[in-house]
Amino acid sequence: MSSQPSAPSIHSPTLSGILKALLGADLTVQLRNGRALLLTFFPPLAVLYGLSTAKRRAQLGGPIVNVALALTLGIALIAILGYTASVARDRELGVFQRLRVTPAPTWTIMVSRLAVQILSMLAMSVVVFVAAAVVENVRLDPATYLLALAMVIFSSAVFLGVGQALVGLIKSVDTVNAVGRLSFLPLVALGLFAHSTIFGTTFETIARWSPGGAVATLLSGAMQPAAWSADTWWAFLASVLYAIVFAGIGIRWFQWSTR
Amino acid sequence: MAGPAHNCGFKVSATGQTATNRVALQVEDLHVSYGSRRAVDGVSLEINEGEIFGLLGPNGAGKTSTLSAIEGLLRPDSGSIRVGDVDPRVNPAAARARMGVQLQSTSFQSNLTIREIVRLFAGLYGVALTRSGIDDLLADVHLGEEASKRFSQLSGGQQKRVSLLIATIHSPPLVLLDEPTAGLDPQARRQLWDRIERLRDAGRSILLTTHSMEEAQAVCRRVAIIDNGKLVTVDTPAGLIEKHKDDPRVRKVAHGEVTLEDVFIGLTGSELRD
Repeated sequence: MSSQPSAPSIHSPTLSGILKALLGADLTVQLRNGRALLLTFFPPLAVLYGLSTAKRRAQLGGPIVNVALALTLGIALIAILGYTASVARDRELGVFQRLRVTPAPTWTIMVSRLAVQILSMLAMSVVVFVAAAVVENVRLDPATYLLALAMVIFSSAVFLGVGQALVGLIKSVDTVNAVGRLSFLPLVALGLFAHSTIFGTTFETIARWSPGGAVATLLSGAMQPAAWSADTWWAFLASVLYAIVFAGIGIRWFQWSTR
Repeated sequence: MAGPAHNCGFKVSATGQTATNRVALQVEDLHVSYGSRRAVDGVSLEINEGEIFGLLGPNGAGKTSTLSAIEGLLRPDSGSIRVGDVDPRVNPAAARARMGVQLQSTSFQSNLTIREIVRLFAGLYGVALTRSGIDDLLADVHLGEEASKRFSQLSGGQQKRVSLLIATIHSPPLVLLDEPTAGLDPQARRQLWDRIERLRDAGRSILLTTHSMEEAQAVCRRVAIIDNGKLVTVDTPAGLIEKHKDDPRVRKVAHGEVTLEDVFIGLTGSELRD
């Protein structure tokens, strides 16, 4: 311990400075965890390939819907399994408590994490779009790609909201992981059959208005703007509603510590 | 409340500390509960500028809960807290900007290096630091060669030094340390005491919790003993011994000359705490 500490002073951090610091750190963590991130890219690509070669693919909704389903799976995977696990682990380690005793408003801590997750989902979506061009021959014009990416952000908000509610209400890491896996399957499965009458029209209606179904409808609508219908608008509204309700619950009742 | 006298000017304590009578932290009639269990029960204390104040107590006595309420991690049931002239309930960000905190068990994002952790917290406190500035700070606490390591790769003593560096990176007037030397070997403990005393010498006020009587006597100007959420007594370490040396509970546990530990055990009891 050599030099004398400086005399007391009071610094006033700006909101932009706080967000920049948090985003820089969260982005570094995400990029350094690149192997896990890349692994989350594989399931949507596998689903895309699987659906493109399925015998009854027409009953699932066609190439555009297949791409939407692959995106839905990838988004749900990152949000429900990846995001919840990382937040639960950091909470148990005390990472959030350390951040909470700084001048950073608590919402900035969560917003930074969520923003980095959305960036991951956008990266995954670009990979899926490239694969879709190869596997399904789905090629969109630039404006449609932009619209689809914008809807990926809304879709991300739905599943991140669900993930936030899950990790906000449950303290234990093990329970978060278990409930995450349990809820992931029905969320994605419902999305998969949102445009299919394989299990009857009642099931299709339920599936279509589930979070996964609304996201799948929204994404497939965004990829074919000419066919954007009232159903797509309703799916958009449902997605916004799901995002607000789940994220609201997850943020309002978020347990910052495991004590 | 067992606060200091309110005359102006400076005091020099038995441990050589200089403290002003300007109050850096004021806590009045603080109550904190976990459900039906009362963790802090009417605690009042004042810490002067340039003073190291120790909070001693057995496990579960209310030390960390008191600190957590001051830090804003817990919402008190009642009572008031003032950090300098700031009410944390009215302006929590301003209060947090005035305090540096070392939590009892701290961790940071596991994928960040020490240099990146320092950069993150400098940014959160609005301190502009270049890479070489960060490296200088790390070198100052003998962590220059660990700058590219992860927090989990450091020894216990190194982790405590990182935590203290981050707690004081914004040169706060008030520093709150929750068991800063717990689990450290004697060399690391002495180094940390030295660091804490340097902070005081630079004009900081420090509130620390500890189980170590040696630590309380070595670095604290005043010490409060807390038990079952209540402050039992407050004075200088020597003053506490003098005040309680004839207490029958203290005499009962003393082996020869009364020590601070005898006073502590006498006032808080000998039974084990969880």
